[in-house]
Amino acid sequence: MSRLIAIWLMAAAVFMAPVAHAQTGPLKIEITDGVIEPLPYAVPDFVPESGAASSMAKEIARVVAADLSGTGLFREVPKEAFISQITSFASPVEFSDWKAINAQALITGAVDVASGGKLVVKFRVYDVFAGQELGGGLQFVGTQDGWRRMAHKVADEVYSRITGEGGYFDSRVVFVAESGPKNERKKRLAIMDYDGANVQYLTDSRSIVLAPRFSPTGDRVLYTSYESGFPRIYVLDVASVGKRVLESQEGTMSFAPRFAPDGRTVVYSLTQGGNSDIYTMDIASGASRRLTSAPSIETAPSYSPDGRSIVFESDRSGNQQLYIMPATGGEAKRISFGQGRYGTPVWSPRGDLIAFTKQSKGRFHIGVMRTDGSEERLLTASFLDEGPTWAPNGRVIMFTRETQGAGGQASLYSVDITGRNVKRVRTEGGASDPAWSPLQK
Amino acid sequence: MLHKEHIGYYISGAGHIGLIGWMVFGGWLSPAPEPVEVSEVSVISGAEYAALVAEAAAPKAVSEAPQTPSPATAETAPEVPREDVTEVPNAVPEQIPAPEQDTAPDVTQIAPPPAADAQSEAPDAPASPPVDIAVLAPDISPRPAPRPVPRIAPEPVARPAPETEIDDAVRDAAEPQEQTEAPAEDRQEATAPEEAAVEIAVENEKPQAAPLTSLRPKPRPQRTAETPVESSVDKPAETAAKPVVRDAVRDALAEAMGAAGAEGGATSDTGGSGLAANGPPLTAGERNDLRVAVSSCWNVGALSSDAMRTTVTVAMSMSEDGKPVMNSIRLAGFEGGTSASANQAFDVARRAIIRCTKSGYNLPRDKYAQWRDIEMTFNPEKMRQR
Repeated sequence: MSRLIAIWLMAAAVFMAPVAHAQTGPLKIEITDGVIEPLPYAVPDFVPESGAASSMAKEIARVVAADLSGTGLFREVPKEAFISQITSFASPVEFSDWKAINAQALITGAVDVASGGKLVVKFRVYDVFAGQELGGGLQFVGTQDGWRRMAHKVADEVYSRITGEGGYFDSRVVFVAESGPKNERKKRLAIMDYDGANVQYLTDSRSIVLAPRFSPTGDRVLYTSYESGFPRIYVLDVASVGKRVLESQEGTMSFAPRFAPDGRTVVYSLTQGGNSDIYTMDIASGASRRLTSAPSIETAPSYSPDGRSIVFESDRSGNQQLYIMPATGGEAKRISFGQGRYGTPVWSPRGDLIAFTKQSKGRFHIGVMRTDGSEERLLTASFLDEGPTWAPNGRVIMFTRETQGAGGQASLYSVDITGRNVKRVRTEGGASDPAWSPLQK
Repeated sequence: MLHKEHIGYYISGAGHIGLIGWMVFGGWLSPAPEPVEVSEVSVISGAEYAALVAEAAAPKAVSEAPQTPSPATAETAPEVPREDVTEVPNAVPEQIPAPEQDTAPDVTQIAPPPAADAQSEAPDAPASPPVDIAVLAPDISPRPAPRPVPRIAPEPVARPAPETEIDDAVRDAAEPQEQTEAPAEDRQEATAPEEAAVEIAVENEKPQAAPLTSLRPKPRPQRTAETPVESSVDKPAETAAKPVVRDAVRDALAEAMGAAGAEGGATSDTGGSGLAANGPPLTAGERNDLRVAVSSCWNVGALSSDAMRTTVTVAMSMSEDGKPVMNSIRLAGFEGGTSASANQAFDVARRAIIRCTKSGYNLPRDKYAQWRDIEMTFNPEKMRQR
């Protein structure tokens, strides 16, 4: 009997051996499910360090909060919930007070007007639950008129430190401002901060303008104008509002221009004899080069960030689809194969995605796909969505949405590349054809 | 003739048939009897009857509830204040001026803030008492101290002389046996002090905090030396085999479980190593509880696209109250991303671990050695597809 027990115990021990081995070392847990929620953060009013800075201190904190909350990735904890106040920029933070209200990030700041009239804005970001500062404190010095821009810079830094990717708040958008009824619509070029503030007009409404595009440095804008009666490409210096028309042949129409990443070359479409093809032009010399020569319509070219490839739309297959070809021309490879028509492709500044407009089953969509055409995702759907443009960080897309009917009006909208946080960009009147600038220096 | 002779029979038969028919079907034709009302009757006395009559004549109490006034309903919905729309001033110039260019602000690094003097962490819960005490303490209330009882005689009463009987038979004197120490469980401590009271003092007041449960009896003390029950001469083979079998079992167990202690190095506070020292492994449910608790705080909403492609492994040590030791939380490794994205993903993972442990994770304390060191792998692949 005892031998039987011994045998049984030995067998049990042998079977338990793997279990015992599984318990060696630290306990291992794999987490694969989480939540996707805006991260709660707190931005107390920035501390004014002089009487002249008191009003701006509050406003700057509000702009920072609007920037962060506007991304849809963050949620501001209301001030009413605050347990402790920030009365001094240098004083230590009571993390327990901010933990108690579940503020996971805390942004503190101070504003001062220096003796020369310069505005001084400084800030810190804290990871409340880790009880430590995220990065070091930063200080910006600028003109008092530029307080909004300094607030955007603070928000960019905060965004970058929390999300790990670059911000896009200190950027501008050039677009076509529209006014008047649909059949007599007046269009002007306008430029504004990314959030719709500080609108300034670059052209008057005497001629129709289309498709403005920023240069890689943000100091120039390419656009198409009917000023001469035919569509021509112009380049405009944003600082001086000076413009000049690019070289063009008689009897041709050139449109859909876009800068190459080097800023010296323009790729565009040219229609001659009823056929549209893609060309490049050296801005300085005016020398042009034909990249496609097909009887079909090729248009809407966009460079890859490395300047080696161009994505464009073509109906060479009988249906409007997206293609990629080398920047020097050559064989194009089709990348879109879904049902419907694809157009206005734009390469992401990060190079990983291509945004496009898709028309399918009577609806328009803004979508993204990988550069090989895989993982197509439609982010929006409406009566008319078109003309995507990328934020400098490649995380957000702005586009035009037009409402249905005779009184329909075009507006600017933005959407996260996850398809969340579709929201309208507030502009005066109608707006279309947005183009996002790079981050300002 | 024959008919006339049988007329009597016919009449008699018809009469009998009619009688039988009435007996069988007569009940169907009659209407159903009305139900009889039955009521219980009891005999009461005259005084009780008078009391009943007097009660019936008493006025009824008004028990109607007062009517609640109906709330006044607003006939028209209150007007919702319109959102203030900030009118952007029309900035259309006659001549397009050059847009103002903001000068880029100068950027300067700021020195880090002074260290917080004040305690920034929430105060920790008081240290828990030792395990052996904590297990029993909540269930047993302390016994009340006995009230002092007046003692009359400090000296014990002298015992009466034992009654002895003289046996007739004469026996040899017994040899004195070696005095062996009585086992501990046989000892019985004195239940009352030696001092005896002449008067019996009765405690009128019962103890207020009487224990609800009785203490578990103490385990028998370990015997240091086994008393041989049977002589080894009787069964030499069996007694010789016993230690061999026990050694084999002990060896097998040690071989199977020794690796755990050796590799993990997680020995319990009680000493020793291996599975026995670490306690049983966590069950699937206990592991899942921990996984769910952390998952509920793992918010990847603000993660960058690169960080969402990065799987990070976070290592940490745990204290016995189920809370991670803050300084021990570290990035043990990552896959599928850059070091920058890994740091970003680690920040979010660490935040999840800390946020969800306000009162400590619900982990079995008796298996502390099993979860003293934890490695959590945060894999955002599923979240990326949402």
